[in-house]
Amino acid sequence: MSARVGVDIGGTFTDIVLRLADGTLRVSKVSSTPEDPALAVVRGLEALLRAAAVSPAAVVEVVHGTTVASNTILQKKGARVGLLTTRGFRDVLEIGRVRTPDLFDLSWEKPEPLVPRRRRLEVDERIAADGAVVRPLDEAGLLAAAERLVADGADVIAVSFLNSYVDATHERRAERLLVARFPALDVTASYRVLPEIKEYERTSTTVVNAYLLPVMRRYLANLAAGLRAIGVEAPLLVVASNGGVVGAAGAAERPVFAVGSGPAAGVAGAARLGAVAETSNLIAFDMGGTTAKASLVEQGRVSLTTEYEFREGISTSSRFIKAGGYMLKVPAIDIAEVGAGAGSIAWIDAGGLLRVGPESAGAHPGPACYGQGGGRPTVTDANVALGFLNPAFLAGGELRIDAQRAREAIHAHVAAPLGLSVEEAAHGIRDVANANMARAIRSVTIERGRDPRDFTLVAFGGSGPVHAGDVAGALDIRRVLVPVSPGVFTAVGMLASDVEHHFVRAAGGALDGPALDRANARIDEMTREALATLAQEGYPRDQVRLDGLADLRYVGQASELVIPIPEGRLTPDRLPALRAAFAREYAATYGYASDEPLELVNVRVVATGLRPSRLDFRAIRVAGGIPPVAGARLVSFDRRAPAVNTPVLAREAVPAAGAAGPLVVESYDSTVVVPPGASIRRDALDNLVITLGATS
Amino acid sequence: MIDPITLAVVKSALDSIVDEMAYTVIRTARSEIIKDVMDYSAALCDGRGRMIAQAKTIAQHLGAIPDAMASVLADFAGDLEPGDVVAMNDPYQGGMHIPDVFLFMPIFWEGKVEAFAVVIGHQTDMGGRVPGSNASDSTEIYQEGLRLPPIKLYERGVMSRSVRRIIEKNVRVPDRVLGDLGAQYAACKVGERELGRLYARYGRDEARRYTAELLDYAERLTRAEISRWPRGTYTFTDHLDSDGFSDEPVPLRVAITVHADGHLTCDWTGSAAQVRAALNSTLSFTKSCTYLSVRSVLRQDVPNNAGVFRCIDVVAPEGSILNPHLPGACAARALTGYRMLDVMLGALAQVLPDRVPAAGEGGNTVLSIGGQTADRRPFVIVDMITGAWGGRPDKDGMEAVTNPSQNMSNTPVEVLEAQHPIRIDEYGFVPDSCGPGRFRGGLGLRRRYTLLNDEATLQLRSDRMRFLPYGLEGGGPARGTRNVLNPDTDARVMPAKFAVVLRRGDVVLHEQPGGGGFGDPFTRDPERVAADARNEKITLEYARREHGVVLEPGTFKVDAEATRALREGRA
Repeated sequence: MSARVGVDIGGTFTDIVLRLADGTLRVSKVSSTPEDPALAVVRGLEALLRAAAVSPAAVVEVVHGTTVASNTILQKKGARVGLLTTRGFRDVLEIGRVRTPDLFDLSWEKPEPLVPRRRRLEVDERIAADGAVVRPLDEAGLLAAAERLVADGADVIAVSFLNSYVDATHERRAERLLVARFPALDVTASYRVLPEIKEYERTSTTVVNAYLLPVMRRYLANLAAGLRAIGVEAPLLVVASNGGVVGAAGAAERPVFAVGSGPAAGVAGAARLGAVAETSNLIAFDMGGTTAKASLVEQGRVSLTTEYEFREGISTSSRFIKAGGYMLKVPAIDIAEVGAGAGSIAWIDAGGLLRVGPESAGAHPGPACYGQGGGRPTVTDANVALGFLNPAFLAGGELRIDAQRAREAIHAHVAAPLGLSVEEAAHGIRDVANANMARAIRSVTIERGRDPRDFTLVAFGGSGPVHAGDVAGALDIRRVLVPVSPGVFTAVGMLASDVEHHFVRAAGGALDGPALDRANARIDEMTREALATLAQEGYPRDQVRLDGLADLRYVGQASELVIPIPEGRLTPDRLPALRAAFAREYAATYGYASDEPLELVNVRVVATGLRPSRLDFRAIRVAGGIPPVAGARLVSFDRRAPAVNTPVLAREAVPAAGAAGPLVVESYDSTVVVPPGASIRRDALDNLVITLGATS
Repeated sequence: MIDPITLAVVKSALDSIVDEMAYTVIRTARSEIIKDVMDYSAALCDGRGRMIAQAKTIAQHLGAIPDAMASVLADFAGDLEPGDVVAMNDPYQGGMHIPDVFLFMPIFWEGKVEAFAVVIGHQTDMGGRVPGSNASDSTEIYQEGLRLPPIKLYERGVMSRSVRRIIEKNVRVPDRVLGDLGAQYAACKVGERELGRLYARYGRDEARRYTAELLDYAERLTRAEISRWPRGTYTFTDHLDSDGFSDEPVPLRVAITVHADGHLTCDWTGSAAQVRAALNSTLSFTKSCTYLSVRSVLRQDVPNNAGVFRCIDVVAPEGSILNPHLPGACAARALTGYRMLDVMLGALAQVLPDRVPAAGEGGNTVLSIGGQTADRRPFVIVDMITGAWGGRPDKDGMEAVTNPSQNMSNTPVEVLEAQHPIRIDEYGFVPDSCGPGRFRGGLGLRRRYTLLNDEATLQLRSDRMRFLPYGLEGGGPARGTRNVLNPDTDARVMPAKFAVVLRRGDVVLHEQPGGGGFGDPFTRDPERVAADARNEKITLEYARREHGVVLEPGTFKVDAEATRALREGRA
């Protein structure tokens, strides 16, 4: 029997999911091995295969999401990159966009550039904004500069010339010369990574790509070898930041596209789940140990952003602030992340205000109630104190809980200073954390003119289902869907991804005549490239879906909206429909629209390799699991009312016909809280669906 | 009773609303000055006009809103309908300078004005003598462009045709200006929609109570902190090089008195009299710059609202550069504002020596180039260059970073070149421009422009050629500004502020100052000096002269013995 494997490598745990051809799902959580992430995967998978009595040879594919790229940047362990720029522009990378992420902070420190000035050298060449050659490429000077970089220890050379988005002739020539002279060296040119206007964004993205190249290639080769060593010969796939999956070879060549690999898989999985669960409008809500993430899925489509900043710590929901990190202008699922996770620490600021996060107790020492030495109260401690979480054990008994320690920590650090009872303080911690998470959701809905009430909240991650009911309530969301195995859902989601490749070309011009011909020619180019790439990965033409997209804006604006091109071609008779679609989207986002002329900035092609065998969430059966629980305990849902005796059920015991809250549903990897006034049922796909009552 | 939980939730809701407003502006604006440089602000005021939240936008706009708001209330209280928007830019009624147009949208709840959405945008051009309306050599406000008292730009959701036409006839690039006003309007709408949701959730009484408490909360935090500062009066003086008409330096002087109850008096008496050029700062802007300077040394978690202002009294004599009479010109008042920050920080450094940095570059440079292309299309480029921070008590000053008075970005070279007849041939650091110190200042930036049009008018506003960014605690000053026309051909060195007509092929080179140094430069870690030299941020001569560090040419190895000899020899 054939088997497919999904792997989510996180900072603390590596989740492995094995799906057999008969639909059975086996899941396993093992400790990550940050020094060699492949180790946990290989060992964990070997054990899981053995337990399931599946031969390694039966594995037909391994899809994985990885934090290797993001950790490489965080820990500054990437390549020694040398950068070649147009004369006069060696400092573009370090200058950046000169803003600060906060006002009034004189102690702020700009992130160190990934390439120090000494390894950024200039070359004589210049192409004008209209493509004219102002100054030819000085080939001898180029090679001399590269020699200097190599002598200074560079193991990758990045090339980013001004206006190469208009005409890449010089970059192309430079690339050829460099590869010929230094055959052992990696060379990456900006026109290949990001052929778009704005020199800083393009240079930064190219440099990040260069920085990750050797690490990512080594890691992928290592993982593939490890898998082969245990007899798994299946192709290795990587989830990209846009939620699609790419072959390991592609990821090794353009690692910048996989920086947001892990979180993206969860959202893509939620979208896929929504499609089969008849829930095409949803908010993916993923709450883990240190952060919570939210992302919007509309009409079955994930929301993509074309640029984001990778930064240390937590990205706020304030998307207009850019300054704190390394700019990556690559397609990525638009995910808002806040520092509110199960391990986030509650504290009182100098003004007497209760705060939660962004500091997290992490896995060590962990929440106070784990009894591993953590003394400061966390969100998990609040949940234990209030009865939301089992006061004796979690993870089916694998983790002992000490409720008294939770109460003591809350008392000492929150309740006593604020003059509240422990229950009131615990409610406060939960409420502040919920408000932070609601903020992440607001930034992907309200900020874009979407009403959260029109969406279903799909809750996953270890703690998502513990808070989903209240977070939904705060935003008047009426329906919450908790998938099977929410704690390892991201890994499950990977098995549901398609292979996707995104292509983009600048198409700068008005929306008429010659500009349309040019744009169509670029669409044709990208289509050819897309089909060739997918063919290499084993997808014949009839298993490929092509979607054309246009980046449009009113003439003179800086930001575009991405609008689907009807039937993938820009012909005059289709323009009215395209304009109307833009006006609709614009009005929905900004509250007004006008009849001003539009300009076409970029055209895009998204090529999807349709995997005939991808998981569609029907007929999932989870093997193994935990002994069924049953009983009741006191849970405090409302700080103005006494705690109520609340039934506790095993997931399997939730009736398909439904049950009224309050209820707590426990399973191996998560706890689902159903507040009073809400109800829960099991749907045909075995998802739990919580329906919240009307609120004031 | 105030519930601390609800307070926290309301605070983050308001922060999120103003950020949503700000985000809407950049997504919908048309001009580089707003969408790329991000010279705009978004805020919310309560029904009484007190600012309750400001987005992470331009700091200098922070404190001007109360006075502008007061003018709007004076003229229109009781005469506002849903969908109305009041516009104003008059510096003498709470505005800052003519290009900064304020939009105020009253937000109604149950038939009453409960709040105002406020969006300030720096318009590319508002008419007047020069493209960009931003000349430093105007002598009367009447030369500086279209001056708007509070007027209704929108009535019941419809833009006034009359006002629209007046704007169209008076500005050089009406499409951009009207497009950007539309962006400001869109942001106000977002503020209105979202504050409505907050009111729907909490009800009028609760919402009012908690927004009022947020002001008290900010005041409490501010007072608690100031009351821990050593009491006394601290003075500092710094200068603008001149007003551009004469060589007279323009002194700015402040005396900050720390009172025991946690409030401050900032008295600008002793500053220069009103000047002929457009460097006058009206009182609202003077207050704003004073507030922001104090705010910069407070702890990070103080909310940005009017509660902070309650702890700061500002005194500026009438008829002075910091409280001018009509018709004093004020287009380039931002420069005076930057210097106010430098003066305030110089005084505050005496109060908080372990927190305050040495002087930064002294403010952004504004370069405006305007003209008509061969096909008679008008163009106006407003480019802003910034910046460097001074060395800090525990680390170097940063290079290529916004002045803390602002939160500006830069215009990408490729965007400028794609939109305008201009080519930029250099954008990078100026080596050796940093002030030396144990912690050095940031390097200045240089930018070099070549005109690709037959003719254009150039206005350049800079400063800090004579009065250099100061160092602290023994740190040295930074190198000053340098402006050169056609540096590779006839190399004309230009003053800090000038206007000329450029011809095709003319080249303008501007170099910004760096930041001052902090602490004795001879105590700087020689390895850090070596790293700077290796990165070609400083030369070997600079390392030797300023830091007493001798480096081996080529390898940049520290010659420990020669360095010790040099450093000891100084004493």
